[in-house]
Amino acid sequence: MDYFDANVHLTEEDLALKEAAHKFAKEVMRPIAKTLDEMTPEQAIAEGSPLWTFMRKAYEQGYHRILLPEHVGGMGLSPLQTAIILEELAWGSFGLSVELLVASFAALGAVYSNDDDLIQEFAIPFCECTDGSLRGCWGGTEPDHGSDFIAIGDPSFYSPAVRSQCRARRDGDEWVISGQKSSWVSGGTVSSHCLLHVQIDPSKGFSGCGVCIVPMDLPGVSKGKPLNKIGQRDLNQGEIFFDGVRIPARYMFVEPDFYEPILDMFLTNANLWMSMASTGLARAAFDEAFSYCKERVQGGRLLMEHPSIQQRIFTMFARVETCRALSRAVADLNMNLSPGFVEYSIAAKTTTTQLCLENAHDAIQLLGGNGLSREYPVEKFYRDARATLIEDGNNEILARHGGQVLFQTYPRNPAAL
Amino acid sequence: MAAFKDAAQVQELFGELWTTMIRETDFGSKLREGGISILFEIREPEFTMYVDENGPCFGEEAKGKTPKVTLRMALNTAHQFWLDKLNIPKALALRHITAKGPVQTVLKLLPLLKPGQQMYPEYCKKFGLSME
Repeated sequence: MDYFDANVHLTEEDLALKEAAHKFAKEVMRPIAKTLDEMTPEQAIAEGSPLWTFMRKAYEQGYHRILLPEHVGGMGLSPLQTAIILEELAWGSFGLSVELLVASFAALGAVYSNDDDLIQEFAIPFCECTDGSLRGCWGGTEPDHGSDFIAIGDPSFYSPAVRSQCRARRDGDEWVISGQKSSWVSGGTVSSHCLLHVQIDPSKGFSGCGVCIVPMDLPGVSKGKPLNKIGQRDLNQGEIFFDGVRIPARYMFVEPDFYEPILDMFLTNANLWMSMASTGLARAAFDEAFSYCKERVQGGRLLMEHPSIQQRIFTMFARVETCRALSRAVADLNMNLSPGFVEYSIAAKTTTTQLCLENAHDAIQLLGGNGLSREYPVEKFYRDARATLIEDGNNEILARHGGQVLFQTYPRNPAAL
Repeated sequence: MAAFKDAAQVQELFGELWTTMIRETDFGSKLREGGISILFEIREPEFTMYVDENGPCFGEEAKGKTPKVTLRMALNTAHQFWLDKLNIPKALALRHITAKGPVQTVLKLLPLLKPGQQMYPEYCKKFGLSME
């Protein structure tokens, strides 16, 4: 079903990008995601898995370059175009969309470092890659540390008593990394590179971290089992272990003296992208429910002819439009400001993930028993949507941070724009 | 005022630097290709300059322009930037530099400024500025 776009200012290029992304989402992502969802995590990453077909086709289309600027070979998308493509891809599969996004994180880190050598070494080859063999992951959380790892402003974030499980020490011109990252590292067990958060100064707690790029073929790097989980089963996640891994000093492009504000910038971006993808998932649930209700007869008439169903479908539609409007508005703000305003991205993430869960829930209810069946995609949407409330920072921790930022900065000075 | 004597000296130096970059490197053509124009809003002291493919302008004339990207920073930060002694991610994170305009354009712009950073020490010598 074509979903109307209320933006009357879309250019021909915007529309072409949208159409191509939707076709890819429908014809490639949706069927592969369904197959991966029914496989074990080990099968999903084994040789011959459709995951690799997806990665190769996505790279051939250039979708791994969505977030990257043109001068390094990225797609160079506008804020609106980024939102449009991520919405379409996540309509096809939220999990595979995240897989694609994190694949670019090491390259993106190289670009943000503004270091020519890192750009040459990591960003440009990644953009030139068309077979899906260069894949990043985002190593943040640890077995004992989930959203507290990003709890900027909370006393625990600065407490030396709260020790990271992955640390780096300087040794001449190198950093030596030891420890592990959690099972929740997206792309963790299939990655060629890791954008790694690692504690450097334990006396500062988590605020004493740094960020580096780690090629996963270095001696001392090993990967754990892929995680078995309720939703986004098409997204590989799993542990990474570091045993005295040595990287050149220049790979550590963020050090503790500016780690905290950089983490805020990462959250500003990641939460925004999550809101764009959540819009796609909210829309997928709406589309499926609407189509079903226009065909399914109950009580002698189409479901859509029942006033209570019309009301519920309309609520689902309104949620999609809310998600889309909010994510696009925040994209327009935070993709035009450096650094952006994190509270707006958090508002977008926490709102859209909640609304996409509500849409997926309502879709199951509208499909009735069929909604619980694997014959229909809505039960997968629901499982996928449930994960978004925890992914990239659980919504409660994020909201606390957003509230603290409001307390400190609101109203933002218009002159800062 | 950082290393500079006064605002007039800032204008003279950057007027020459921008003009040379546009005449002697592909900076101007790259600005044109990318549709890039930049407004620098400098603090401590307040100073405004604008540059596009046609060259720089300053003060009130610069304020009247509509740039693709606006960069805000203290003059000393700008001096360190042109000396290539500034960690850009750090300066952005700490809001020592803020940018308004498409992030993709800001990222594209930074490498374009490198020829100017290579020329800047010569201008520092010419204008008797500290390179610390």
